[in-house]
This record gives sequence, C-alpha cells and structure tokens, in this order.
Amino acid sequence: MSGIGAVWAIELGLFVLVVAALLAERPAAVAATVAAIVVLAAVARLSARLWRWTTATFLAHRTAALAGAALCAVALPVLLRTSPYWTFVVTMALLYVTIAQGLNLQLGSAGVINLAGAAFSGLGGYTVGLLTVKLGLPPWLAVLLGPLAAVAVGAILFVPILKTRGHYLALVTIAFGFIFNILVNNLEFTGGPQGIKNIPTLQPFGYAFTAPLRLGGLTLPYHANFYYAALAMAALVTWLAWRLHNSWFGLTLNTLRDDEIAAKCSGVSVVRYKLLAFSIGNFFIGLGGALYAVMVGFVSPPDFDFGYSLIMVSVIILGGLDSIPGVVLGACLLIPLPERFRMLHEYRLLLYGLAIILVLLYRPWGLWPAAVRRYGLRETEVRA
Amino acid sequence: MPPLEVLLQQAFNGLMLGVMYALVAVGFTLFFGVLDVIHFSHGDIFMLGAFAGLSLTFAWTAAGLTHPAVALCLTFVGAVLVTGLVGVLAERGCVKPLAKAPPLMTLLATLSLGLVIREAVLIFFPRGADPKPFPAMLPGGLFEVGGVVIRYENLAILAIGAACMVALDLLITRTRIGASIRAVAQDPEAAQMMGVDLDRTVDVTFFLGSALAAVAGVLNGLYYSEIHFIMGIMGGVIGFSAAAIGGLGNVYGAILGGLLFGVLQTLAAAFIPRGSEFRDVVAFAVVMVFMVLRPTGILGEKAVERV
Repeated sequence: MSGIGAVWAIELGLFVLVVAALLAERPAAVAATVAAIVVLAAVARLSARLWRWTTATFLAHRTAALAGAALCAVALPVLLRTSPYWTFVVTMALLYVTIAQGLNLQLGSAGVINLAGAAFSGLGGYTVGLLTVKLGLPPWLAVLLGPLAAVAVGAILFVPILKTRGHYLALVTIAFGFIFNILVNNLEFTGGPQGIKNIPTLQPFGYAFTAPLRLGGLTLPYHANFYYAALAMAALVTWLAWRLHNSWFGLTLNTLRDDEIAAKCSGVSVVRYKLLAFSIGNFFIGLGGALYAVMVGFVSPPDFDFGYSLIMVSVIILGGLDSIPGVVLGACLLIPLPERFRMLHEYRLLLYGLAIILVLLYRPWGLWPAAVRRYGLRETEVRA
Repeated sequence: MPPLEVLLQQAFNGLMLGVMYALVAVGFTLFFGVLDVIHFSHGDIFMLGAFAGLSLTFAWTAAGLTHPAVALCLTFVGAVLVTGLVGVLAERGCVKPLAKAPPLMTLLATLSLGLVIREAVLIFFPRGADPKPFPAMLPGGLFEVGGVVIRYENLAILAIGAACMVALDLLITRTRIGASIRAVAQDPEAAQMMGVDLDRTVDVTFFLGSALAAVAGVLNGLYYSEIHFIMGIMGGVIGFSAAAIGGLGNVYGAILGGLLFGVLQTLAAAFIPRGSEFRDVVAFAVVMVFMVLRPTGILGEKAVERV
C-alpha cells in the first residue's frame, strides 16, 4: 500500500511543479520551477539506489501509476483555466503524441524513414478544410476522412518505399514533402498561400467546441474542449500503438528494421508489413493534422512545411526510437518547451537546436529508450 | 512549345545553376563516402559560405581595396577558410561523437546544427532576417551566340565552378591525401592498417566539402546578387538530391546529378505553364522517379546485400 502512496506522491509533486512552471509569469519563477524539475530528475537519476527504487515501485504499481497520470491529465485544463494559451499549447503537445506514435510505427518500429510527416498531417488537415468548406460535409465526418486521404496519397510512395532504403528513402520522402508544400502553396483550390479559412468546428450533438466548457461551477476556456478530445485521441492511439508494439506485428516490424534479408528468409512478407506500418502510421499522422484543422479553424502551407517534419522526427528520436512511452515524453517536452522559453526571444530556436544536440551527445538512444522485449516471460519471473 | 533559342538559353542557365548545385552535392557525397553519414547541416554551411563572403566584401571595401579581381580572390579564399573550418568543427562536434549511435541520431544532430547555424546568422548578422544584396564583382557585359544571350559574369561563374571540379578531381586522383580519402571511402579499417591517418583524412574531407560549399555560396550570391539566411534549406535539399541522383559516395555522380537538377529546373520553368512556380515540383518528382528506377543513383554501385 505504501508503494502506491509513494507513486502517487511522486506524480502529484511532479504535476504541481509542471503546472507551476507553465503558469509562472516572471522569468525568475519559470527558471526556478524548471530548475526544480531538472534537479529532482538529476538527483533521482544520479543516485543509483534511488533510481532503482523509483523504477521498481512504478513497475510494481503500474496500474496505480497510470491511473494517477490519467487523473493529472484530466485535471490539467482545470488548473490551467486562467490561461487559454497554455491550454492550447498542451493540446498541441497531445496532437503531437498522436502524430509521433504514427511516425514511430514507421520510423522507429519498421525502419521506414519518413521525413514528410508534415505533408501527411497536412493532407489530413487540408482534406478536412476542403471537405467542410468547399463541400459542406459535417466536421466530424471530415475528421474521420482526413486521415484516409493521408493513407491514400501515401500509397503513391509505396513503390519507392519498397525499392529504396536508408538515405535514399529519406530523400524520396523529403522530395514528397516539398512537392506537397509547393502544390498547396500554388494550386487554386487549396487557397494558395492564404490556405483555407473558416473551417467549421466540431459540434457533436449540437454542442459547439468553441463554446466555453462548463464543469460544475467552473468555466474553462473553449480550448479545454479540444484538450479533452486530443487527450482521448492521444490515449487511444498510444494504447493502440502499445498493443501493436507488443504483438507479433510489432516484433515483425522490428525484424524488418534490423535485418530485412533475414526477415525475408524467415518467411516475413516485407511488402505487406512495410505497407501496413506505413499506412497505419500515416493514418495517425493524418488524424493529428485533421484535429489540428478543426481546432485552429484554418490551414495554410507554412503550417505543414519541412520544419514541422523535422520537429516530428525530433520528438521520436529524442524520446526514444520504438519506445511508446518515450514518444509521449518527447512530445510533452519538445512542444511546450520552446513556447515556455519565448521570453528568450530570438535566442529561443538557437538554444533549442543546441539542447537537442546536447541531449543526443549524452543520450544517443533517447531520453526513454525502448526496453528489451521480454517475450515468453511473465514480469514476476523476470524480477525473481 | 517554346522556340529552340529559349530551349538553349534555358539549358545554359540550367548549366550554371547546376554547377552551383554540383559544388554542394560533392560535399554530401564526400562525407557519405568517408563516414557513411548524411551531413544535413551542409546546406546551412553553404549559406554560411555566402554570408562569410559577403562580410569579407564589406571588409575589403572598408580597407580601401579597390581592385575587383583581387577583392574577389580574397573573398573566395576567406570564405573557403572560414567555412571549411566550421565544417571541420561540425564534424568533430556532431558527427564523430555519434559514430556508434543509430544513423538517425546523426541525421537529427546535423539537422539541429543546421538550425543553430541558421539562427546564429539570423541573430548575429546585422539585420539578419532581411535578404542581403550581394555586390557585383564579376565583369559585366554580354554577347550573343545563335540567339542565346551569354553574360560574361555567367561565364565566369561557370569557369570558377569548372575549375573547382577539375582541382577536386586532380586532388582526389593525383595526391597523397586524395589517395587516403579514396582508401577510407573504400574500407576505413583496411586503410588504417595501411597507415592512413583516419582522423586527419576525415578532417581534410570535411574541410574540402565545406570549402566547395563556400565557393557555391559566394557564386550563388554573385548570380542572384542577393542572399538570405534561409537559402541553405533549399540549397541543402537540392544538393542532397543531386548527390543521391548521381549515387551517394561517387564524386562524378554528384557533379552529374547537380548539372541534371539545374537543367531540369530551368527546362521545367520554360516548358510548363506557370513553370517558375512548379519547377521544383517537377524536379523533385523526377528525383522520386529516378530513385524508383535506379534506387542507388546513376553512378552508384548496386548495393550488395549481405546475408
């Protein structure tokens, strides 16, 4: 019982610190809260005994830990209710969780390099824009169809994906991303550089997502609606990714990534699994873009340029390739952090780049590396 | 269908663009040859070369150096030295420490380095966000051959680019350091056993590749008479495309790929309605088709699949 208490106490403490860091107004307060989190993490990490105890406790009470984290995630908009801006930023982080899980399935699990993530999320977003604004389809239907467009257009890349690998595949996807961006920027029906404006918002059962959310006596900014939608989506996608990762499907993708010829010799259909991984991944990436479109209300070419593809790749590499929790961690760090450090003005992106390089130099396998697979062993046997 | 003169004119312009692309592509291919990495900040190194060149032209003007040819030579030499050094530092800081990590880490690290270089120019160069006019330093004037207008400055760009290629070829085929570069590219371990200093060879290669990118950057400034801090993104992507079309690791392939990409772009601009907007779409689409037909480039070796 004390273990569960410890897990919840740690989570609550961390949660309070994170909320304080997000809501801090003055640079000194931001620095103090962020420093507190970093110092706590460093202390836990540097003391081997403390780290072992912490990880063991969390592993032993996994359900309690997950429940606690879920509770924190649900409570977050309530604590951030004074700041629509930060509610928006954490919602973006959740969209990136969805996108990054999709990209991770391609890049982390199957080794199919995709440097056109922004193009696929743009396909989702633009499809939503076109279907709702030009054809008048209801937004919820458009959000469901958007990701399918990403999958369908992604099919064009099937041939090069099967033919090329490594750096050459990277180039093919870079080229695809640039083609997408130039096309939406110059075609008439995509609105050119202006993009598509006035995308209607989600209205399930007549409840508009742009109305402030009332919970009991509390009034939350309307962004909280999208936050909960994005949270549900991110949780569902992460759960799916987790199930896929721990299934034969995930294992098969890993064999493809590590040695394609050996996988082929063992009877794995390279074509089928690569295409499956690529399509499922594109679906998730497109889904993130589709929800982004209804949330922001417009899409334009700069929202989906090469830079965003790189951010998506950064999220999964920094979090840990093929690591489901790592991807979540990466998105929750990389998306809000540059916003939090907006006070550094023009130095922000410079420091962001330096920080990524430093993390890579000291943790080349990511912040939360993928664990070694443990097939056939129950957890109790492993610990014994 | 545009007349033949337009075709020839565009082909000539494409050749000139192609020379600049080829100079960037050679860097990509050299780095890939010796270290098996794609150095994604190379495009920003190219941009840095242009800005280094621009700063030097200011310096010469301030110092009262009026002879244009001497100023131009000094600009090239200075830009090559500065940019080459940055290239070596980039390799020491971002590529070598990650040699044992998965290849994607190098990709992300060099991409981030590119961001750092870009932002550094934006912040520390005076009014770095604006496009910068690049002074004209090449002789003006033009002549006409069969309806094709040829400017002296364009000829000079072509000549400088070609001279760099020839020098590179001589260096690689005729000198000791060139032999060690080729040896490392073929088999780093065997090369070391034969007494090749690996670290030094890698340093020289990165200096060489970055120096050629600096030349391309200055030529780019002279050609468009304007440079911008984000020019490295497209420059890098095109350089990488050219290197890959030609076959990564093959210097002649990179030159061929660069010329091909340049000609392709200008021809697309001439032949396709609203071509100037869609020329890059055509060029990248051709890149994708190329990758399908020849997945390792024109001159690339057929990948040997080890079992």
